[in-house]
Amino acid sequence: MPNDLLIDELVGDLRPVRPHNPVRQVAWLAVLAALELGGFAALGTVRPDLASALDGAAFWWKVGGLASLAAIGVATALRSFDPVSSPRKNFRWWIGVAAVLLAAGWLIDLGNASPLGLAERLQWRMGLQCLFTMTLLSLPPILALAIMMRRGAPTDRSASALATGAASAAWGAFIFAFHCPSDDPFYIAVWYSLGCGLVILLSRTILPSVARW
Amino acid sequence: MSAKSDDWGELMAAAQAGHGGAYRRLLGELRGWLERFYGRRLPPAMVDDAVQDTLIAIHEKRHTYDSARPFRPWLAAIARYKWIDRLRAMARTSSEELSDDIAVGDHESAVTSAVLLKQLLSRLKPAQAEAIRLVKIEGCSVEEASARTGQSGSLIKVNIHRGLARLAVMIQKQTDAE
Repeated sequence: MPNDLLIDELVGDLRPVRPHNPVRQVAWLAVLAALELGGFAALGTVRPDLASALDGAAFWWKVGGLASLAAIGVATALRSFDPVSSPRKNFRWWIGVAAVLLAAGWLIDLGNASPLGLAERLQWRMGLQCLFTMTLLSLPPILALAIMMRRGAPTDRSASALATGAASAAWGAFIFAFHCPSDDPFYIAVWYSLGCGLVILLSRTILPSVARW
Repeated sequence: MSAKSDDWGELMAAAQAGHGGAYRRLLGELRGWLERFYGRRLPPAMVDDAVQDTLIAIHEKRHTYDSARPFRPWLAAIARYKWIDRLRAMARTSSEELSDDIAVGDHESAVTSAVLLKQLLSRLKPAQAEAIRLVKIEGCSVEEASARTGQSGSLIKVNIHRGLARLAVMIQKQTDAE
């Protein structure tokens, strides 16, 4: 098609659009997070010993760390949907914070001195359930971010998919943390890392083609 | 930032509000800019398609332009994204026979006009650059390129594929560094 004809068609197709607004996106995601957390709690899933868990450093390490990772991940992902931004630098921040959190967990674990062996501490049956539930809880944010990614104009789709996966994984794990009865840093480091890895892999595999433009 | 770029930002803001006249003027001016952009980066036979593809992308993604920010980086990011897309598409089709309209009649003007592409090729391994230059820019068949370079047909295909994939990564990394 000659370029003049194409321009005629594009002008003919012109409709007013509402410019992209990151604040609106953040507001939508905050509402989704509140609904998901509220809905999950309404199912009676909150751990019964939550009040006593609040006294432990490991619980705050778990919840605070995951909230930080979710926030950095969401900010990185949303920024990457703008064509001018690349998420790779910010994504390295996410990995750095995750590494610091794992090191902090190791320090907390040193202070706990559990009498159980590592295999027993893994509790693999419960761990597999954790993995499954965590992944399910990551689906709402991954869907919401995928819609935003598709509507946006990411110029590095692979990195945007990684950031979206990282944000959604940490988000799902954060909500799950209010149910998970374990505050053992070793258990959390292993199963939560596996859960996050799974969601990131899923996102990295599917989203680049979904958000192609 | 040039005055023209500022004008383009204002025209795009008007287009976002549905102003057809401003949009027509903007697309007309962008077409010229894009023809020069791709003329330096792609073989001439691919320039028109790349320009049209980018104009459509600009149309579909016009809501992502923030009128509080300069227009030129937004435009350049989209144009570069579509350029990388073209290189990846060339890599994917490296083993297919080229149709007649891809081959370029005037080899010399083809090579000299895609100046930036030529510069980028110099950063690849010589065997990769030669395979891309002969098949993708000059329009030779894989067999002809094989005869001229001494590389086997399969190696020509592999070198085109790897070379173009590497070019796409190089451009992407350059974008990140900027």
